[in-house]
Amino acid sequence: MLMPKRVKWRKQQRGRMKGKALRGAELIYGEFGLQALEPGWVTARQIEAARRALVRSMRRRGKVWIRIFPDKPYTQKPPETRMGKGKGNVEYWVAVVRPGRIMFELGGLPADVAVQALRQASYKFAIKTKVVARHESATGEAA
Amino acid sequence: MEKLVIQATRRSVTGKKVGALRREGKLPGVLYGYQTESTPILMELRDASRVLAHASSSQLITINLDGKEFATLVREKQRDFIKGTLLHVDFQVVSLTEKIRTNVGIELSGTSPAVKDYNGVIVQELDEIEVEALPQELPDKFVVDISGLAKIGDAIFVRDLTVPSSVEILNDPNEVIVIVTGAAPEISEEEETAEEISEPEVIERGKKEEVDIED
Repeated sequence: MLMPKRVKWRKQQRGRMKGKALRGAELIYGEFGLQALEPGWVTARQIEAARRALVRSMRRRGKVWIRIFPDKPYTQKPPETRMGKGKGNVEYWVAVVRPGRIMFELGGLPADVAVQALRQASYKFAIKTKVVARHESATGEAA
Repeated sequence: MEKLVIQATRRSVTGKKVGALRREGKLPGVLYGYQTESTPILMELRDASRVLAHASSSQLITINLDGKEFATLVREKQRDFIKGTLLHVDFQVVSLTEKIRTNVGIELSGTSPAVKDYNGVIVQELDEIEVEALPQELPDKFVVDISGLAKIGDAIFVRDLTVPSSVEILNDPNEVIVIVTGAAPEISEEEETAEEISEPEVIERGKKEEVDIED
């Protein structure tokens, strides 16, 4: 699963997720992509599950680009612990995703296979997403 | 080729107040270029979107500005990246007697046998080609037939394009447009998990930890 190799600090404050994506809202590498429509924390586990779903439905064809990286530590206190005594332990890593962010890109595939693969990947996320295309295509979108 | 016309009027509202126009179903834009001062314009969003949806970046679009016609090329389209609707369009006025430099899109057609037979991956290296031509002679797009790519490693170069004599290509002739590459070797799930790092290295230590070290 994705996680940073080195971090400056072990734990982070939660922050806010106001507004739309400032960057990473356009397709750059591939012809098709999966775009977030809601804000949310996407876990490393979800990214890995989506990547596996993509690769499986692409059947070793094409190329995948992952455009998000889980660099925010998520902490949790152990069950049945009293409040206080400091912040909990880092349990997993999340990527902060704002609406508009392209999370995955696909290239080198026919439109129907790419759209189907991205749809399979979209089921792995807890946020609403949509499939976008660089050219007018099966999705009816124009980038 | 069908003549594409967009009706427009001059726009006096600029800046953030343009948002109100967008809510009324108007599309702001700007017109500039050959013997033309930069002029803010206003179009109907529905009509303009319909025309621009079918137009390529190298297709001439006629802007009818209060009865006066301008031959233009679309220089930039700004879109709402979530809804996909147009926010603003730049039109560059061109002279029909002077050659211009612009980019023409590339569209792939056909199916490569290398994909079916050898599980190859089609990688498109170039999306656009820079050309010099008279505006009315610009091709809408270059259609590249990839059905001749039979083996992995086969490629189509810029020099392989067939273009009319009136159009000059400015890209390097040896540049690759599309190439067939082999699929990446499959990594088994066991190998993947073996690579995982359990915890990242922490560069800075908290106050408490520093004190512990000193003790």
